[in-house]
Amino acid sequence: MTQIDLDVLGRPIDATEQELLRIYGDLKSLSERTDLAPCALMNVRQAMVMLWNACCDLDLVFEEPEHD
Amino acid sequence: MADWSRYWNPKNETMSRDELQALQLFKLQKHVERAWHKSPFHRRLYETAGVTPDQIQSLDDIRRLPFMTREDWMACQAEQPLFGDLITRPREEAIRYHLTSGTSGRQPLRVLDSRKDWSWIAEMWCYGFWGIGVRPTDTVFFAFSYGSFIGFWGAHYCCEKIGSLVIPSGNMTTEQRVKQIAEMKPTVVCATPTYALRMGQCAEQMGIDLKKECNVRRVVISGEPASDPVKRLIENMWGGKACDTAGMTEIGTIMIFEADNQPGGTHIIEDNFIEEVLDPETNEPVPYGEKGERVVTSFGRGFIPLIRYRTKDLVCKVPHTTSDCGRTWDLYEGGILGRVDDMKLIRGTNVYPRAVEAIVREYPEVEEFQIILTREDNIRDEITVKVELAPDKEATWNDLHPKLGKDLADNHEGLRFNVAKADQGELPRFELKAKRLQDLRDQ
Repeated sequence: MTQIDLDVLGRPIDATEQELLRIYGDLKSLSERTDLAPCALMNVRQAMVMLWNACCDLDLVFEEPEHD
Repeated sequence: MADWSRYWNPKNETMSRDELQALQLFKLQKHVERAWHKSPFHRRLYETAGVTPDQIQSLDDIRRLPFMTREDWMACQAEQPLFGDLITRPREEAIRYHLTSGTSGRQPLRVLDSRKDWSWIAEMWCYGFWGIGVRPTDTVFFAFSYGSFIGFWGAHYCCEKIGSLVIPSGNMTTEQRVKQIAEMKPTVVCATPTYALRMGQCAEQMGIDLKKECNVRRVVISGEPASDPVKRLIENMWGGKACDTAGMTEIGTIMIFEADNQPGGTHIIEDNFIEEVLDPETNEPVPYGEKGERVVTSFGRGFIPLIRYRTKDLVCKVPHTTSDCGRTWDLYEGGILGRVDDMKLIRGTNVYPRAVEAIVREYPEVEEFQIILTREDNIRDEITVKVELAPDKEATWNDLHPKLGKDLADNHEGLRFNVAKADQGELPRFELKAKRLQDLRDQ
């Protein structure tokens, strides 16, 4: 995932928010994969929506992740 | 103990109003755009109204969008069972199915949620529970039956997310619940206001003093409007603060909560909802401090976009400065005040059931009550408040009867209320939404 420096309102985001966004992006990519074992994929999706919550609460994203 | 923030999301709960409104507009634009592309129901509504997503350029432009009503929703479900064409994703991608409570007597609405939606639903409860003061060290008891009605489901998951110890009481009887509360000593109890009172009365009959023998810090109430006298009665029974929340199955979660400073109202979770308050007849916005119908736009539920949904809830919005908790989110003074169609006209006087309840609840001797409307001689409307006294308060009837009648009349422009006494155990008890009004006039 390319680094994003601004939140949805165009405000700068700090290092912790960057980290949250990166993890969310990684989990979202994993959630779309079809080659993972069910135990991996379903837990990744569960984790992904939790990170979506954190990122959405902090105005870092506003989107439907779809592969949940 | 950790030095926790008093806010679940300090960034958004204290952001400036300008930033908050910019955030709402951003979300509104995205949400309408998605509804247009993914929900045939919304596309049809917008095309009929002649509006397109690109016309939403300011928050005021929300008024270009047509209202969404329960009737529209029910009709689309009837035409295309089971879920209509409102949903944006195939049923196979959902993880939860719930129904509205059915208290209106109509066909319940069916709702689906994705994994993300369900997590968001719990998240909104987290805003509320954290604001109410629930923390990881708390033990939370749910007096809730865990059925198809969505009720406290999201709150249960919220408490797991927070890290509190959750006690789900499922299909227990009231006595079993009281016993478990006495044994486990939860610090937070969740129930409808009616059922919180019911458990309190049951505890008294079982010889359990909840205030002295338990450790309840908070009673989280939801599902029914709760007047101040009802909340004070609950606090006197339980010993903890009674904090109000309100939500609806249509949004899946809560949209308002009463923070632990109890400012006399409930904060609106404004980073996730736009709450308009409109005159129900003219559909024009009403200013702060005036009552109107709440119309909700919710940003969190992807499966079912809810945009300008008419709730028929009666509310009175006041500015965020009414509370000293630091949140920049506006409030509903007194929470949900009732339903816009709740008002009854009796011999020329407006009567709201919630206002009657507030007066009746000033009398702790009254355990349960019903409001009964009848028409005498096909012309004269009568209103009767039938009260059931607590078992050990029967002797108070002769004093209570005229005093309650006078209080009711004094608060209703002199309207005469009949006050009648019910036998012990005669009146119905409720766990979920109480039905205390019987309008027999057209029967």
